[in-house]
Amino acid sequence: MHIPDGYLSPQTYIPLYGLFVSAAAVAVRKVKNAVSARNIPYLGMAAAFSFIVMMFNLPVPGGTTGHAVGSAVIAILFGPWAATIAVSVALIIQTLIFGDGGITAIGANCFNMAVFMPFVAYYVFRLLSNNPAKKTRVYFAAFISGYLSLVLTAILTAAEFGIQPIIASSSDGKALYCPYDLSIAIPAMAIEHLLLFGIVEGIITATIVSYFLRNETELIYSFRKVNKNGT
Amino acid sequence: MKNSIPEYLLQASLPGPIKRKGVKITFLDKTVLNTAKAVKSIYLQAENSDTENFIRKISPNVKLLSLIYFVVVISIANNLLAQTVTSVFILTLFAAARLRISEVFRKILFLAFIFGFIVVIPASLNVITPGRIVFSVIKLNNPLHFWIYNVPQNIGVTDNGIKVVSLIFLRVLNSISCAMLIVFTTPFPSLVKAFKIIGVPDTFLMIISLAYKYIFILCRIIEETYFALKSRLCGNIKNNNIRKLIGGRIFFIYKRSHIIYEGTYLAMVSRGYSGRFNLSVGNHLTRWDIVSLFVIAAIGIAIILI
Repeated sequence: MHIPDGYLSPQTYIPLYGLFVSAAAVAVRKVKNAVSARNIPYLGMAAAFSFIVMMFNLPVPGGTTGHAVGSAVIAILFGPWAATIAVSVALIIQTLIFGDGGITAIGANCFNMAVFMPFVAYYVFRLLSNNPAKKTRVYFAAFISGYLSLVLTAILTAAEFGIQPIIASSSDGKALYCPYDLSIAIPAMAIEHLLLFGIVEGIITATIVSYFLRNETELIYSFRKVNKNGT
Repeated sequence: MKNSIPEYLLQASLPGPIKRKGVKITFLDKTVLNTAKAVKSIYLQAENSDTENFIRKISPNVKLLSLIYFVVVISIANNLLAQTVTSVFILTLFAAARLRISEVFRKILFLAFIFGFIVVIPASLNVITPGRIVFSVIKLNNPLHFWIYNVPQNIGVTDNGIKVVSLIFLRVLNSISCAMLIVFTTPFPSLVKAFKIIGVPDTFLMIISLAYKYIFILCRIIEETYFALKSRLCGNIKNNNIRKLIGGRIFFIYKRSHIIYEGTYLAMVSRGYSGRFNLSVGNHLTRWDIVSLFVIAAIGIAIILI
C-alpha cells in the first residue's frame, strides 16, 4: 500500500501533497480545539501507538500472518481527525527511517492512508454500530470498517497508479512512471485486497476493538459523545 | 568517550524462533524479533550518523533541501543515462561519506528490488509494453480476447519493456539511496527540526519528535511483555486465542502509552509549557553549506538536461 518514489508523476504527487497538507492543517486545528494544550503529547502518543499497531503480526486464516495498516482501528479509537495526524506522522517516520514509501509520495501515501482511510473506516463503523451494548454488532462493524476502508483505499491507490500511463508517457508512448493502466492496476489491487489483505485488516480491527470493548468501552472514541467541533 | 546509546539497544536480540513439534508460537517470535530489530536499527542508525564524515559537516537544513531537490530531480529525469549518472553520483557520495556501503546497500537494494523490480517486471512483457520482442517467453495457440483485455499469441520481453523497467528500477534505487544517505548522516531529531525551513508547522514537528521518542519507550515495553508471555506459553495455541492474546497486548500498550502521555504532559507543564512553543532552528550557513548547495543545484540541473 505504501507508494514508493518513481511510481507517481509530479502531476499526481504535487496535488496530493496539497490535499494532504490542507487536511492535516484542518486536523491540527480540530484536535487543538478538542484537547487544548494536551494536543501535542496526546497526538504524539497516538502517532506512536499507530506506528506500533502497524508492527504487530497476527495469524490469519490460511496459515499465514499479517499486519494491519492500522488506520481503521486508530480512527475508531481516536477519531478521524486525530487519526489523520497520528497515521501521517507514523507514515512520515516510516518513510524517513525505513524507506517504506517514497519521499515524493509522502503526500499521496498520507492522503490515502491517513486521510481517506480513517474517514471511511470511522463513518462505516458509526453507520453500522452506535451501541456498545450490542457486542456482536460492534465486532461486525469493526470488521467491515477495516475491510471496506482498506479495499476502497487500495482502489484509490490503484487509480493513482492507473492514471500514470494516461497523464505521463513519453512521446513514443512508453510509460515514464507506473506502467500499469487502470485496466490492470484496479483489478490487481482490488482482487488481492478483497480476497486477502482486506480480511486481515478486518480481523485485526475487530480483534483490537473487541478487547477495548470488553475492558474500557469509554476509551473508544466512536462511542463517546461527539462534541460541537465534530472531533 | 561515553556511549550515548541506551544499554537496552546494545543488548543481543531475543533468541530466534524455536521449532518444536506441536508448538505454534513462531508468530510471537516474529513480532518480538521484528519489533526489537526495527527499534535497534532505527536508534543505532541515528547514532551512527554522529560519526565524523564530510556530509555531516553540512547543515541539516541544507541536507534536507538538497534531498527534496534531488528526489524531485530524480522523479523528473526521464532517461536511462540521467538515472545512471545519478546512481554514480550518489554512490560517490556514499563512498566519500565513509559509510559502510555493503551494509547500507543491502538494505537499499532489497527495497529497490521489491518496489522497483519485482512489482514492475511484468511491464517488460509485450502484454503491457508493446515493442520489438527481444526474447519470447510463451507462445499460445491463438491470441486471447476477453472483455477489455487482449493477449497476443507470442508473449515476450520487449525492448521498450526493458527500458521502462530499467528506468523505474533506477529511479526507485536512486530515490531510496538519496533518502538513506541523508538518514545515515543526520541524527533524526535534527532532520525533523530542519523541516521547519520548508514551512512545516512547529506543532507538527513537535508531534513527530514526541512520537519518535515514544516509539522507543513503547517498543521496549513490547519486548519485555512479549518475553514474559513467551516464557509462559507452551503447547499448541489456537489462532483465535492468539488473536485474543495480541488484542490484549495492544490494549496494554495503549494503557501504558496513555500513562506515558499523561506523564509527558505534566512534565511539560512543570517546565512552563502552556500549549504554545517555538522550535528554534539555526539558520547560519557556513561556507561549506553554500558550496554544497551550489554543487547540488548544478548537478541537479545537469541531470535534468542530459
